[in-house]
Amino acid sequence: MDHEIRDHEIRDHRGLGCVLVANRGEIALRIVRGCRALGLRSVAIHSELDAHAPHVIAADDSVPVPSYLDIDAVVAAAVGAGADAIHPGYGFLSERAAFAAAVEAAGLRLVGPSARVMEQMGRKDAAREIAVAAGVPVVPSYSVEDPVSSMSLPVLVKAAAGGGGKGMRIVRTAEEYDAAVTSARREAASSFGDDTLLVEKYVEHGRHIEVQVLADGHGNVRHFFERDCSTQRRHQKVLEEAPAPTIGQEVRDRVTGAAVALAEHVGYVNAGTVEFLLDTDTGEAYFLEMNTRLQVEHPVTELAVRVAGQPLDLVQLQLRVTGGHRLDFAQQDVALHGHAIEARVYAEDSFAGFLPQAGTATLVRWPEHARVDAALETGQVVSTAYDPMLGKVIVHGPDRETARRALVAALDDTAILGLTTNAGFLRTLVASEEFRDATIDTAWLDGATIDPPGADLARLVAAWTDVAVRTLTAGEPHPFVPDGWRLGADPAATIVELDRPVRVDRARGEVDGVPVRELSCADHLVVLEVEGRRHRAVVALGGHAIEVVLEGHRHVFGRPDPFADSSAVAGDGTVLAPMPGTVLDVAVTEGQSVAEGELLGVLEAMKMELSLKAPFAGVVASVGAGTGDQVALGAALFVVDPPEEETS
Amino acid sequence: MAEDLRTVTADLRARLAAAREGGAGGSDAARAKHTDRGKLLVRDRVDRLLDPGSPFLELSPLAATGMYAGPDASPDDPDVVPSAGIVTGIGRVSGREVMVIANDATVKGGTYYPITVKKHLRAQQIAAENRLPCIALVDSGGAFLPLQDEVFPDREHFGRIFFNQATMSARGIPQVAAVMGSCTAGGAYVPAMSDETVIVRDQGTIFLGGPPLVKAATGEVVTAEDLGGGDVHARRSGVVDHLAEDDAHALAIVRSIVDTFEVGAGFETGTGRRPQPPREIEEPHEDPAGLYDVVPADTRTPYDVREVIRRIVDGSRLQEFKELYGETLVCGFARIHGHPVGIVANNGILFSESALKGAHFIELCNQRGIPLVFLQNITGFMVGREYENRGIARDGAKLVTAVACSVVPKFTVVIGGSFGAGNYGMCGRAYDPRFLWMWPNARISVMGGEQAAAVLATVRRDGIEARGGSWSAEEEEQFRAPIRDTYEAQGSPYYSTARLWDDGVIDPADTRRVLGMGLAAAADAPIPGPSYGIFRM
Repeated sequence: MDHEIRDHEIRDHRGLGCVLVANRGEIALRIVRGCRALGLRSVAIHSELDAHAPHVIAADDSVPVPSYLDIDAVVAAAVGAGADAIHPGYGFLSERAAFAAAVEAAGLRLVGPSARVMEQMGRKDAAREIAVAAGVPVVPSYSVEDPVSSMSLPVLVKAAAGGGGKGMRIVRTAEEYDAAVTSARREAASSFGDDTLLVEKYVEHGRHIEVQVLADGHGNVRHFFERDCSTQRRHQKVLEEAPAPTIGQEVRDRVTGAAVALAEHVGYVNAGTVEFLLDTDTGEAYFLEMNTRLQVEHPVTELAVRVAGQPLDLVQLQLRVTGGHRLDFAQQDVALHGHAIEARVYAEDSFAGFLPQAGTATLVRWPEHARVDAALETGQVVSTAYDPMLGKVIVHGPDRETARRALVAALDDTAILGLTTNAGFLRTLVASEEFRDATIDTAWLDGATIDPPGADLARLVAAWTDVAVRTLTAGEPHPFVPDGWRLGADPAATIVELDRPVRVDRARGEVDGVPVRELSCADHLVVLEVEGRRHRAVVALGGHAIEVVLEGHRHVFGRPDPFADSSAVAGDGTVLAPMPGTVLDVAVTEGQSVAEGELLGVLEAMKMELSLKAPFAGVVASVGAGTGDQVALGAALFVVDPPEEETS
Repeated sequence: MAEDLRTVTADLRARLAAAREGGAGGSDAARAKHTDRGKLLVRDRVDRLLDPGSPFLELSPLAATGMYAGPDASPDDPDVVPSAGIVTGIGRVSGREVMVIANDATVKGGTYYPITVKKHLRAQQIAAENRLPCIALVDSGGAFLPLQDEVFPDREHFGRIFFNQATMSARGIPQVAAVMGSCTAGGAYVPAMSDETVIVRDQGTIFLGGPPLVKAATGEVVTAEDLGGGDVHARRSGVVDHLAEDDAHALAIVRSIVDTFEVGAGFETGTGRRPQPPREIEEPHEDPAGLYDVVPADTRTPYDVREVIRRIVDGSRLQEFKELYGETLVCGFARIHGHPVGIVANNGILFSESALKGAHFIELCNQRGIPLVFLQNITGFMVGREYENRGIARDGAKLVTAVACSVVPKFTVVIGGSFGAGNYGMCGRAYDPRFLWMWPNARISVMGGEQAAAVLATVRRDGIEARGGSWSAEEEEQFRAPIRDTYEAQGSPYYSTARLWDDGVIDPADTRRVLGMGLAAAADAPIPGPSYGIFRM
């Protein structure tokens, strides 16, 4: 059954010819690709910051907007550009009912459900009621006054107004219940000024399962099986896969059936995702919410599902049903096909509190043997103004383990230099036993400690490459070429000064005594055999630092700067008056701990106010003057002692 | 001397490896004591100072061998002074060639033996002639007091080091010092006389009189650090300009200092002519390693020196001058590492014609600004009535005059014998070649041991017989043997290099590279116009 659509067919269905893409980044590129495949014109919008962004260049046309969140401007851009429809992507305005209403009011079509449905599903309480009405299981909840014997333990007692774990108690035995309610109520009252409590079933080990559905405007709802997104951190998905690895056919039928029932119940049109919490201890699946848009992780479904034996393209299907097209395949035509896994690459430092990162991506290498949905290119500036996701690496295999290994390999080949990303973290995670065995539940990552990859191998690669490139780029032959020549002896090893000196002996093929064989070294890609094992790395040699991306992880080795790095200028910790003058302020007392550079006091002299700062971190051993004192040149004003452990 | 070149070269490499083993010359205990203080060993200091991968043309690494402890002393003998306790040589720092002079504190606390002074002065002379910035890595207790009479008072003694620093600085040849250990008494002037100086905190000290001397002189009790440590000199005295955290930091600062120098710079830039600039480098067609097979084991076996030249010069090309005249001296133009050179090479004993040809060729090179390379393998000028009567001394004098008055850079490699006046005509040490290297098969003495024994025996026999005595063949042999032995020992290249009669014994296969480095080092120094003394006609 051919569901490829031809241009005239779309036009036949109320004439969809041009789509405004109300998004940016990889999803905007994804939608532009979908439009192009269907012969539709695509119009990008962009903020001032994004004037030259990849999605702007990829689209057929572009319109500047003050903000991607400016409903009036986005709708006006679509009208002005002659678009028939707006694809909102995910995030931004994609789930704003007000936006959907504005699109409808402007006589345009939204590639998504109606404003009414969006409104209903957008409110959690309303969504829960609809789910109950549709016969979809929800997490059992109780009134706080209900007898504890009627509850299915464990339960979670939480503040209705709450958040951030405040006023939350997990109750595992009936005896704990009253005390938990009392303390939660007290904490809720003090934290939120509202002591209303809710009680619901607590799922100790939950997996995040979600079902992809798509409905046309003719009452046909199809599901495309489920995804498992249990590897998440603070509700931010990290790895997603399809199908779910831990459920059987019975659960699969239950969740897919429930999702279709829900969509049918609300008269859902277009693509949507119904999320469930799967209690791994009981096998119960509870409705969480419905996302009324295309999901970030939709590619895993596209790779793991076939429709009548053909590849699935959810964006094209979205556009077709928006154009009024009828879904021309039956549910039984939709079949699982192998296994797909996606990893989200973020600009964040996963090994240092997951802090968002910004900077210029000086070199970007995406893997060749994987689907990559990304809009990050070499030279692009990553700012914190937008979502930190840089791209998605998606792999497919005949089974989960094959796919998992392929993803490890793909992340090994992912190299983003210039800023820190989570690619190395993802690689570690995908390679872990926990992910391999599919034991990661939704809470796991919040409690787990993932150690950063060691720097030794990367340092070796950095030093070797530095010497190799120096040799390759030594220029014209000259008796003083850097070949380590020594009088009457083998060439000397080259010492590369990084965070520590590294001895590279190219003639012998050794780095600090470890045998190294160079297989290739060209165009930033370095392949070395170290102690018989092969490693691929992407390396950038800079004047101040060497960057190495190894197994996805970016290592930065600074080259020492004898003047910038030095703390040698710090003396014995005695701070002398640099000029004769008046002490304006004494900011510390004896015995106080101070950080390097912390203000100790202020001296006024020769019409200048001089800040006297701690030469290094330590403890103020003595204060030699008081505020208002006249002091002579060279008077000892402060003495800072280094901390104990450094003096020994 | 029946050992072939391969064997004697292997012996050379073994000697060099032994001298450099462990990164410094001192005993295991001395090295451990040094590194336990957080100090780098002298050769590690040099390696870390140089640009990554920079070659290092070390000078006379076998200096002092056998001078104070006998040639067969064990390395742990307290009188062994490996490499004369100082490492000198030319390498690249911040992209330019510099002279490195680094004390080895594991050898007698880095104190200056007479030969240490000579090695330091020789490095300075090379730096001055070739206008190479000087980097001193100072870690020395000053003069070796037991030998003060051979170290302190004379013209070419300790004081000359500071004289050279001042006069080189005056000529715009930068002088930089890093004080990485003690720097006492006269030694204190090395940093003080430098243009820019670094000291390592808690390690480097500079004082004219150390704590024991101060106590003796004034009764003042003071620690070395308070007397002249890094903080004192960086903050109070101003004797140094930069305070470094450790050895590596000090070396990095020195590298930054060198980076501020004008390339090949000095006040003399722009004046005078320079040697002809190099062209593109071409490797020899004949593999330099083939030298081992070209040169016969027995020095008395003649061979064609052109076979040696072909393995040294670019493209193995020699544009020969007067090929058919004075054939025992091969003269010709060639290039080494792109630099044009005039090669003067012995191919037999020197006759009048060879001497005249050599003098003519040297004049050509001076006229054209082409450096000279002498390949020395000479037993001397032809002797005998016929030659003396025809005035071979007159023609030899012409060659010696031309060599002596030559203004272009000269490089000498002793590839075989260096005997008698042949040494003079072929630019021996006394004729100020910019560099003089020896092959491990070389021999050097005023004449051969056999000849010297014969001459002395003849004189003695004449004396005995004049007094009416008799001297048996047995007695004569007993007289001759020690003379031969002495000449044999003193003619060794290792006897020579120990005493700094040369700048090092080199692997023959390295000849081209070493000459290339010397030519590159000499390329920036200006040369005056040619002028000569009276050529005796």
